[in-house]
Amino acid sequence: MPGDRAGFRAGFRRWRSGRPFWGGLLLTLAGAEVLFTMKASFEVVLHVGMQGVAGYLLPVVMLLCGLLALVNPSQRLFYSLIGVLASLGTWVTSNLGGFLVGLLLGCVGSCLVFGWLPDQEPRRDRRRRRKEARAARTAAPRPLEQRAGEPA
Amino acid sequence: MASSSDVTPSAGNTPEPGTGPEGALAPEAAGAPTRRGRVRLRRAAVLAVPAAAVTAGLAILTAHGALGVQFAISGMPFTVTATELDGTGFAQFGGLDNMAEGSPNAGDTGGQVLVVTSVIKEAKLTKLCQSVDLGGTNLLITAGEGDTRVSATDLTTDSTFLSGDAAFNNIEIGNDASTLDKAGPKGRGPIGVFSQQADTVQIKNLRQTNYATTAGVFKLPGLKLRFSGSGC
Repeated sequence: MPGDRAGFRAGFRRWRSGRPFWGGLLLTLAGAEVLFTMKASFEVVLHVGMQGVAGYLLPVVMLLCGLLALVNPSQRLFYSLIGVLASLGTWVTSNLGGFLVGLLLGCVGSCLVFGWLPDQEPRRDRRRRRKEARAARTAAPRPLEQRAGEPA
Repeated sequence: MASSSDVTPSAGNTPEPGTGPEGALAPEAAGAPTRRGRVRLRRAAVLAVPAAAVTAGLAILTAHGALGVQFAISGMPFTVTATELDGTGFAQFGGLDNMAEGSPNAGDTGGQVLVVTSVIKEAKLTKLCQSVDLGGTNLLITAGEGDTRVSATDLTTDSTFLSGDAAFNNIEIGNDASTLDKAGPKGRGPIGVFSQQADTVQIKNLRQTNYATTAGVFKLPGLKLRFSGSGC
């Protein structure tokens, strides 16, 4: 039903607006990607020992940090810092960071989580800003008493 | 007055940041929040700049051969070639590699691949080229083309295909795989499997198709990473 879908979309958007959605999503995907390039059997990991475990631990930490940034945005700084460190660590432990892709995604995701702030003014798009600038220009030659009333 | 005509529409249709193409579809509810979270670029840059610097640093350290990186690949076939491989502590035995349950790479093999496991304790390789088939494109990693050679420790590969001109020193053929001792604890296979081991090995024009490399700590001087239409 179209009504239901619109309601779902609006709800999803509301949910998304309260958390660092893209950053958390990217970080989660990055962890999954690095894990996908590994997928050695657990037997092999135990055979390898400590180093092999680290190769799995770091992408799992990335994945968890991404998910936690989504469900618990108030701790986002901590998650983003751990996430970026884990992403960088995968270069050494996990196939050059999932052949570079996971590492880059993870860093970008962590930075987006880090830079996210709740409760911001709505972003003005470029067209609106240009329009306002033009309005300000045309308003400039007006008489003084009219401009004084403008709510800057 | 200019200001009133300007302010009214901005309150009415709130521009949605970052919604992209789907933003136009959903109707704006009257009580929708006008304030919402978003990414402040300057703030993100505070983390992005050091992260980019560290990434570059890691890549440079690896390319200078100062930092060893670890490979653990499984389930995807990949090819390794090198013009020359010198190894000390060599063991080789047969085995079965199990893929993850329902792996898309399983095909008609039932998820099992018959492989030859080679373990080399210390290996030095010249002109290493490693390619992973990503379906349509290949990721190519080359290293060791300059003076410094690629070195790898505890290099364990499960290969389905192995070719080259090999020379062994003190080779023992036909041991039980569980009794191997020349390649350390990692170079030991299951009981009752045919195996061979040698003190040193030299393989020229090495070409391997592998299903898994594990615990290979590689030092990759002159690292180059690129995508290419053809593999090694």
